[in-house]
Amino acid sequence: MSVPDASHSEMPGIPTPSRPGGEHDEPLLDMIFDGRAIPPDAPQEMHDLERMLAALAGPAEPGELAGEAAARAAFELASPAGISPAASRPAAHQVNRRPASHRAPRRRPARRRAGLATALCAAAAVLVSTAAAYAGVLPEPIQRMAHVTVGAPAPRHHGTSTRSGSGSRPDTRHGHGPAGSPAPRPGRSADAAWSPGHARVAPARHEPPWIRPRSAPTCGPGPRVYHGPPVTAPGWTPSDLQQIWSRCSEDLGKLRR
Amino acid sequence: MIGAAFGVVLARAQAGDEAAFACLFRDVQPGLLRYLRVITPEAEDVAGDTWLQVVTGLTGFRGQEEAFRAWLFTIARHRAADAGRSRARRSAVPLAVSETAEQPLAPDAADLALDGISARAAVALIATLPRDQAEVVMLRVVAGLDVADVARIVGKSPGAVRVTAHRALRRLAGHLERAGVTQ
Repeated sequence: MSVPDASHSEMPGIPTPSRPGGEHDEPLLDMIFDGRAIPPDAPQEMHDLERMLAALAGPAEPGELAGEAAARAAFELASPAGISPAASRPAAHQVNRRPASHRAPRRRPARRRAGLATALCAAAAVLVSTAAAYAGVLPEPIQRMAHVTVGAPAPRHHGTSTRSGSGSRPDTRHGHGPAGSPAPRPGRSADAAWSPGHARVAPARHEPPWIRPRSAPTCGPGPRVYHGPPVTAPGWTPSDLQQIWSRCSEDLGKLRR
Repeated sequence: MIGAAFGVVLARAQAGDEAAFACLFRDVQPGLLRYLRVITPEAEDVAGDTWLQVVTGLTGFRGQEEAFRAWLFTIARHRAADAGRSRARRSAVPLAVSETAEQPLAPDAADLALDGISARAAVALIATLPRDQAEVVMLRVVAGLDVADVARIVGKSPGAVRVTAHRALRRLAGHLERAGVTQ
């Protein structure tokens, strides 16, 4: 068709097809697509088509907004305002997660369980170590250290009695032993000698401070003077301490391996 | 379409305003569902996946309302393709049965006359078109995208999109004429 069916004046607003052989309804179809009103004298099917497409782009029908709650929940998770405690996390990692109100109760028990397990393991290790120390089955340096710190029996090869009653136990309750409070105390400069480094430069004291007789404490039921274990107080020198320390370190390394 | 207020609504939604996001959702969701009902049998699920991705990337979006719709419908199209691939991998589900069960059925003349061409009936009628024609019509009419945006989304030239759209409308007009709705 080389000539339009109607003149331009007869169909105002409708551009004449410029392409030879082009479909004469293309302008009408473009008008429908663009949402423009088609001429009243356009074919009836075009009007119905226009009506149908208008219905297609119409407002929401019942059920079409049913997903709004889920979308809002996802938005709440992903938006910066909705997740202020973890706003630094990428949103992509949060969208697929449960809402915070569901997530928090799941995390706290896990942390508590982990902490409880750690505490139980530590307590079990302390109990086992103490039991082994009292059974006298630890390596000699460690046994000696346990002897002077927690009152475990002395190493057997010394041939001493393993239990010497309360007198063989260093009195740590008054801060005299290394297992007491590690905080520095006034007038107790010898605490520094517990460190091997300090032991090397310690003044010429031939006994470790925790087995030296001390004066009576200023408070308490009465004087508690510790005189040290009668057999296992060999008058250690700082070099002895250093040697014990190094052997303990070696034995601990072997145990770890 | 939100129109001139779109920029403000988008900015508030990007700042975390849930009401502004709800405004975007209510504006787009009906058309999104109708579009997805034409191209996938799992329209609701794919729409949910689409919105999840939209809220993830919303703060990084820059553009006007047409660009927002083009972005959102591109996501929807990709998620629909993912759903189709996933559906094809599920060997336990008989594909033919599930797809035909979910496929919108072509309305007959009586349905159209009774419904007065509701959106639902219109979607069902468009679903009778070939897939490429139906998708182009939905993107042009429901998403409100121009030919260039539709061409980018479906991976065709603008000229091909225009020809496909015209063919689709002619076929729809023929359906309507034969169904007697036009009388």
